[in-house]
Formats: sequence, C-alpha cells, structure tokens
Amino acid sequence: MNRRGLTYTVIFTFLAAFVFVAVLALTAEGTRPRVELNQRLLETRAILEALGIEYPAPDQIPGIYEERVRERTEEDFTFYEAAVDGNTRWAVRFSGAGLWGTITGVLALNEELSRIVGFEIVDHNETPGLGGRISEDWFSEQFDGERIPDGTIGIRGDGDTDPENGVVDAVTGATRTSQALEGILNRYIRSLQGALQ
Amino acid sequence: MKSQASTVTILKENFWTNNPIFIQILGICSTLAVTNNLVNTGIMTVGVVFVTSFTNLTVSLIKSFIPRKVRMIVQTLIIAFYVIIVDLVLRAYLPEISKALGPYVGLIITNCIIMGRAEAFAQSNPPLISFWDGLTSGLGYMYVLLAIAFFRELLGFGTLFGYQVMPDGFVPWTIMIMAPSAFFLLGLFIWTAKAVMLRKGGAR
Repeated sequence: MNRRGLTYTVIFTFLAAFVFVAVLALTAEGTRPRVELNQRLLETRAILEALGIEYPAPDQIPGIYEERVRERTEEDFTFYEAAVDGNTRWAVRFSGAGLWGTITGVLALNEELSRIVGFEIVDHNETPGLGGRISEDWFSEQFDGERIPDGTIGIRGDGDTDPENGVVDAVTGATRTSQALEGILNRYIRSLQGALQ
Repeated sequence: MKSQASTVTILKENFWTNNPIFIQILGICSTLAVTNNLVNTGIMTVGVVFVTSFTNLTVSLIKSFIPRKVRMIVQTLIIAFYVIIVDLVLRAYLPEISKALGPYVGLIITNCIIMGRAEAFAQSNPPLISFWDGLTSGLGYMYVLLAIAFFRELLGFGTLFGYQVMPDGFVPWTIMIMAPSAFFLLGLFIWTAKAVMLRKGGAR
C-alpha cells in the first residue's frame, strides 16, 4: 500500500491511536482497585490524624476507624464524631476551590468548637513547592490547638506562633492559595457550628 | 546526522556539548517550575528519563510505518502514552510520591526535550541507540536540574532533600523559592558551562 497516500495515513493513525489507548485503558482498569483503595485509605487516615486518634500500623486504619469514628449527617452536611481522651471531637471533610484546583482535607475541632485540634490535606492541585506546601507538616501542625475567635480563623500570619489569636502563618509565595484555604476553612467551621446548634 | 553515532559520542553530546538544557535551551518551563526542592526535582526528572528513553525506543521501532504527514501527532501520542503509564503506576504503587508531584507528572508531556529527541534522533536511527540517546538526554537534563535545585533549596529553605543543613540563624532567601531565581541560576549555569567550553576550545 502507498505509504504516502491518504488511506494508509488514516488507517495507520486510527490503528496507532486504538492500540495505545487500548493498552492505557487496560492499565487504568487494572490499577483502579488499588488507586481507589489508596484514595480511601488516604481519607480515613486523614480523618484519624486530624482527630488525633493513634493507629499502630497503616493496615489497622480501617478497623480503628470503624470502631471509633461515628459518621453523622444533619441536613445533607456530613461530619464525624469521635471520643478522644474522654472528650468529644468533631471532624469535617472540607473541599473547595484553591488557586488551580480543588483542595480537599479534614479539619477537626474540639467539643465546644472553640479550638482546632487537627488539620490534614488529602488532595490538592496547587503549585508544587509553593501552594503545594500546604500539605507539609510544618503547615498543618500550626493549626493544632489554635483558638477560633469569633468563629473564623486567618491564614495570613508572618512568623505567628500565638495559638490564641486565631491566625496561622501563610505560605510564602502562595498568598492566593493561603487566602483560598482560609475561605474554605471558615465556611466549613460555620457549617459545623450551624449543624451542631 | 550520521545514522550510526557511537554510544560514547552520544553520551558526551547529551551531557555536555549538546546538552538539552544549557545548549539547546529546551525544557525550560519545568526547570523554572519544579527546581525549588530536590525531592520533587529528582522524581520528576526520573519520570522524564523513563519517558524520553521509551518514547525514543518506540518511535524508532515503528518509524518506517509512520506516514510523514502525521509523524508528529504519532510522536505526541507515544509520549502521552508513557506519561500516563508513569502517572498510573505512581498512583497505584507510590501514592505518596504521586501526591507530592501533583500536576507535574502530566506536564512531562509538554517537555520539549522528549519530542525534540524523538524527531531529531529516533526518527532516523535504530532502536537501541535511540533508547541510549533518550536515556542520556534525560540524564543530561536531570543533572542540570538537580544542580539548580541544590542551590535553590539550600538558599531558599536552608535544607537539602528536606533535611535542615543551614545553621539556625540562617535567613532563607525567599526569591530562591520563586520562579525568577531559576532564571538567574540557569543563566549563571549557562555562563559557567560556556566559559568552560570556550577555555577548552570545545564550543560550537
């Protein structure tokens, strides 16, 4: 067949696309159970970590989660309840628009909803090395024990170490991501307060 | 280009005399974007090395069947194929790394080096030597990016591979975290490399 002709070109392009995409589809299908399992595990682990529930090994996460965390829904708003060290703690899975894509994570509050007890990022599409640093430990750890004055928190600090003022450090070079995250968290704190009243 | 270049010559060209970054000035977007910490840079460049090698191999294997009119589209298809494979494997088996890398795996598709090597080398050379060319091009890209990331992470965060190495009183240079610093460092790198080449009389 003439390799410069239109028929050959069309047939070749079709076959090439078909073969490569078929292999990809098979790979995607083959890895899907693992990917979904990883995703579920990531979310349950984030909920446990935000609530401050210890787990001895990663493979025990689903069991401990089933045993200690209770899922509650009030008017289509789902949140989680757990007793840690004799106190009730609330957690909520948040998601909202960051700078480039959706940021999802878990925020845990104490019984009176007056302090944050834990914060974990599950997934984001922010710039690696800039906004992407919201998933690093130094960022999430500064939320631990932070008071929530007037029902809102701020992510705008610059070397802020005071746990009473409701302000945590923003990420240098990622002001927009920090602002977006601040908006998301405040929205969910309000919803949680509404649901528990 | 000769159809049968020797392995040593190819290695030397891709690492030094025709390096994709500081001679061909390709793949600059990723050089600017991911090089502010060594771990992300390392993983992303490993992805690029894998994709360049196998794209070159595949293009070279089927080159005689590819109609000239659509060869670039077919090359893009092959590149995208390997990048998605890398992405799927990372998601399934190394979820932590996949998370850290975020959108940058997908962006390997747009790295000009890969298509550049497929078009300039694999399209006119036998499979094994094409694979070698892709591998060394990728490695030539890798070491330049790691060198830039070394300085950016050290001065921007005071760390190397995430470990604190600078003394406590060190004030991080915020500019090093931002993309513009990669321009300065890349410029300095090109300057140094060219100066060394001129001294050796090896410049083109």
